[in-house]
Amino acid sequence: MATITKQARKKIWAFLALGTFVGLLLLPLFLSLPAGAGDTPAPAASTDAKPVEKSRDVWYKTEGPVIGAPAPKTTDSAKDYPRYNFESRVILWVALQQHLYYGSFVLAVPIFCMIVEYLGVITKDKALSRKYDQLAYDFVKISLTAYSITALLGGIVIFTFLTLYPTFFGYLSSIFRPVMATYALLFIAESGTLYIYYYAWERMREGFLKWIHVAMSVILNVIGTVLMMLANSWIAFMQSPAGVDADGRYLGNVWHVIHTTLWNPINVHRLLGNMAFGGGVVAAYAAYRFLTAKSDEERAHYDWMGYVAMFIGICFLIPLPFAGYWLMREVYAYRQQMGITLMGGLLAWLFIIQAVMIGALFLTANYYLWQGMDRMPGAERFQKYIKYMVFVLIMCFIVWLTPHTMVMTPAELKAMGGQQHPVLGNYGVMSAKNGAINTIITTTVLSFIMYQRANKIPTVKWAPYGNAFLFGLFTMAYVNIIWLAIYGYYIPANVRVGLSVPQVASTLSCLFIGVILNSIMLKGAKDVGPIVWGKISVRGQYALIMLATSFTWMMGLMGYIRSSVRLFWHVNEIMRDNSPWAFTHTIGFGANMISFNVLFFWLTILFVFWLGALGVRKAPATAPVGQKVPAPAGSR
Amino acid sequence: MPTAKVLGGITAAIILGAIVTIFYFLPESGAAQLMRKAFHLGWPGGLIIVSLMLYFQFWRTNDPRRGELVFKSVIGLLGYSMLFIAIANYATNFNDESPGVPGEPRFLPVSLVMFTVACFTMAMYFKGVRVLLQIGGFMFFVAAGLAGFGNWLPQVKADPPPVEEKTADVRQMSVQERADLGEKIIFGAVGASGTQGAIGKGQCPLCHGFQKGFLSERAPNLFGVPTRALERIKDPRYSQADPSKRDTVQKEACPGCGTAKTAEEYIAESHVCPNCYVVAGFGVKGTNDRESPMPAIHKPPIALNFDEFIAVDTWLFAREGQDPPTPEEIENAYKKFIPQAEWPKPAGAPGTTPAGPVPGAPVATGDEPVNQIFVKALCFACHTIPGIQGAVGVVGPKLVEGTNAPKRIKDPNYKGHATTTREYIMESILTPSMYVVPGFPDNVMPKDFGKKLTAAAINKVINYLSQLQEGKEPPKIE
Repeated sequence: MATITKQARKKIWAFLALGTFVGLLLLPLFLSLPAGAGDTPAPAASTDAKPVEKSRDVWYKTEGPVIGAPAPKTTDSAKDYPRYNFESRVILWVALQQHLYYGSFVLAVPIFCMIVEYLGVITKDKALSRKYDQLAYDFVKISLTAYSITALLGGIVIFTFLTLYPTFFGYLSSIFRPVMATYALLFIAESGTLYIYYYAWERMREGFLKWIHVAMSVILNVIGTVLMMLANSWIAFMQSPAGVDADGRYLGNVWHVIHTTLWNPINVHRLLGNMAFGGGVVAAYAAYRFLTAKSDEERAHYDWMGYVAMFIGICFLIPLPFAGYWLMREVYAYRQQMGITLMGGLLAWLFIIQAVMIGALFLTANYYLWQGMDRMPGAERFQKYIKYMVFVLIMCFIVWLTPHTMVMTPAELKAMGGQQHPVLGNYGVMSAKNGAINTIITTTVLSFIMYQRANKIPTVKWAPYGNAFLFGLFTMAYVNIIWLAIYGYYIPANVRVGLSVPQVASTLSCLFIGVILNSIMLKGAKDVGPIVWGKISVRGQYALIMLATSFTWMMGLMGYIRSSVRLFWHVNEIMRDNSPWAFTHTIGFGANMISFNVLFFWLTILFVFWLGALGVRKAPATAPVGQKVPAPAGSR
Repeated sequence: MPTAKVLGGITAAIILGAIVTIFYFLPESGAAQLMRKAFHLGWPGGLIIVSLMLYFQFWRTNDPRRGELVFKSVIGLLGYSMLFIAIANYATNFNDESPGVPGEPRFLPVSLVMFTVACFTMAMYFKGVRVLLQIGGFMFFVAAGLAGFGNWLPQVKADPPPVEEKTADVRQMSVQERADLGEKIIFGAVGASGTQGAIGKGQCPLCHGFQKGFLSERAPNLFGVPTRALERIKDPRYSQADPSKRDTVQKEACPGCGTAKTAEEYIAESHVCPNCYVVAGFGVKGTNDRESPMPAIHKPPIALNFDEFIAVDTWLFAREGQDPPTPEEIENAYKKFIPQAEWPKPAGAPGTTPAGPVPGAPVATGDEPVNQIFVKALCFACHTIPGIQGAVGVVGPKLVEGTNAPKRIKDPNYKGHATTTREYIMESILTPSMYVVPGFPDNVMPKDFGKKLTAAAINKVINYLSQLQEGKEPPKIE
């Protein structure tokens, strides 16, 4: 009989512990399943029971037994809409938005932790490994206080719903009862896992236990993602209901109720959005710590942390428009009117604000990269190009935010001779805008390539050919983008739509081929000097804060757009909102509310940062100034 | 620090001087009111700061930092005051949803700028929290920019449609009246079919074009549809001979689908079963024209009833100079395609009062509250009327007549006969072209309000409008 070594015994125990842990987490879920409404309705108790009434699903068009009551027809009364001397919808808006901000943050940060901790485990360089591990620990530490606030805000949201919209909440919970129960259990599981994950960090720092710890982060994220998806099912149901008949009666299939047509696009969009937002918040935290740092070591650490967080945020920001496109496509497929209300009707001006923000985000990202080049000896040789890039970016930004048509007073209309300005209106059409935004993104990629090369000189033999290829790639991309933008003026709109495909293809080619080729060329490149982390201007840190604030504002804006497109329905076409606040506010009011929510969030999260800083007893494990430290592609 | 102290001292003195001046010389001005409100909101905190300042000045006489502490208290008081003035401004303007026309700026984002200034001012003197204040100030600045931009854009507030919009009995109307009602359902107002962007309950212009030659990309242009309908039903894809052979995603029962024989039946079928036959090129992308993006019009969210269908279809025929089918023919056409269980409830159900125009009858009798008169007469669609929910139109001037009327009577271009505010309002309602407010077009306002409104209703309108003053709270609605 083979003897079991001490090491192997330890592994077995570790596996058993993890298995028990997972089992305990899943047990309540398993137990709760029979209690909920399953996929198939319960059969009739006896043959002489009343015949089951059947009805048709509004979305899936399948027949099912009527289980629930019809959606209540509310009236403007204290019974259906009890109220304080204030607009109930605004109170709920604030509570929900704050909960969402914190929820997004605490769901995004564990994903960062998982990635960074994993990098720490697989990195062979012990110093680097420790640094990654410390960074992951710093991340989760920030999220811990935020987690408590999230739970508190969740409670406030439920109480607000119950006290201000009892009839509507009653209807929603009658349909989603099993989902809500599962949600509550998962929340407990998430809390338990998070606390064990955090407090066991020191004990599980070495050896096989570290892998168990990493596995725990995976479990944490799986639970977190499922939680988010369950919560998304409620809002997706409100926007594109399924699983009920035209009167809003539940037909017994809980999967239909969850899996509405907009559920998955919203899931993907929110997951990516959370990551970009989380990156922004962590970058702002790093900027705050950088600005309050007392030593060069601290500054170096938080400069690096800000860079990594910003890099992750931007990485998730890039696919976000594509996810948004998918969501919007599904909205159009679900109800064309809803799509038009969003993109060409009542809410279209909000997309102009979004466009301005996207332009500002890219300008800021470029600015941060240029400021970051201060840390790199040898970057001076690129400085002379920056002014041209600024010019290109500003010009494109102006085109990007020029509206095509203006809503005007009759006097203004008369003075201008129509809704479109005779000259500027031409720059507001989609053709010009497509050209502008693609040029902005391509120029940002160029900035990043410059950043990658700032302190390096390629030494591979084929470097001249590589450079020539890169030059040709970018030149062709610019020519193609601008030429198609001009050509678009001369062809019908339905053909013009297709031109965006080659334009985006040019941009993505620059992004993927350009960055990958550049990275290969920089393998073994000659170092002009090491990156001096911490040697970045204060303005650079404010650029990070600007990015974070803009992410937050954009999230509030897009959430407002998505929610207000239901117009006067609680549940679209099923349950009408008959409260006095069923109207859609003006853009200005919406913008004021978004600003309020953004500032409220940042005031409270700055408090969380301050608390986090209080807990730091010793300086983080950092490399001395000027020493090589880990960072994403191109930053070393 | 000495320079900063001097600068801070001068600034504080200037601000205090300005406050005293405003209260003394302009006690009823907006600025004075704002400061009073700020004082009411924030006096406890201010009292604490003043107490601290006095404590530092008179009780810590031996403290070498006494001067600095007193100075910081002054700066703190200044920043604190500015914060509360900003909060008071936020509270005052919170519900301002005016359309932002020139001369009526929307002041709410100004609060954010004030927060920014307060944060940066205090950051200069409070080193311990300097970074936090600077970051906060910067964020306020960014938020102010974005909120300001949002307020600068055109402001549109959308009210929900009335809960139960019952039309009068269309069968009793003349063809023209039916057609007018149809136009109103489609475009929101009689005569609005030529206005770009006009949309009524039917929401048709969101996707369809209605004018000859108008490029209609989302859905077919409906100009000429009564004639074209007869060609469509002969299309092999319509498969009139054997509807079961149609290639469509239509899943629900549609009793008579595929059996349209007349133009009206084709139109009715298209309205209630858009998937039954999709005009080539207008189907949902990727479905090969087997599915239409159009919703069934008899179901939510549009949910027209038979009377409304009769009006809409009458307009489609009448505006092209064709004789429309009779109301009975139209209703029967719809009944052919809508399963009986889904038949819309008849208009004028018991307990409801018709909101639509009854021929010859006034739209408002004067028995209803004044806000309902504004809604029934559709004043809200073109005018901004303080105190009337949803009345945020900008086609006509804002109706603050208590302020406007006296000025206009004195205008040298005024050729009317009114000598009082009440007379001016009466004149504007009955003969709108007598005096056209500069900057607004003539001949837009209907000239038949004398027939549409009873004397009692007009009197109520005049009573209300004459009480409206610029910058003052509107009167309570009885």
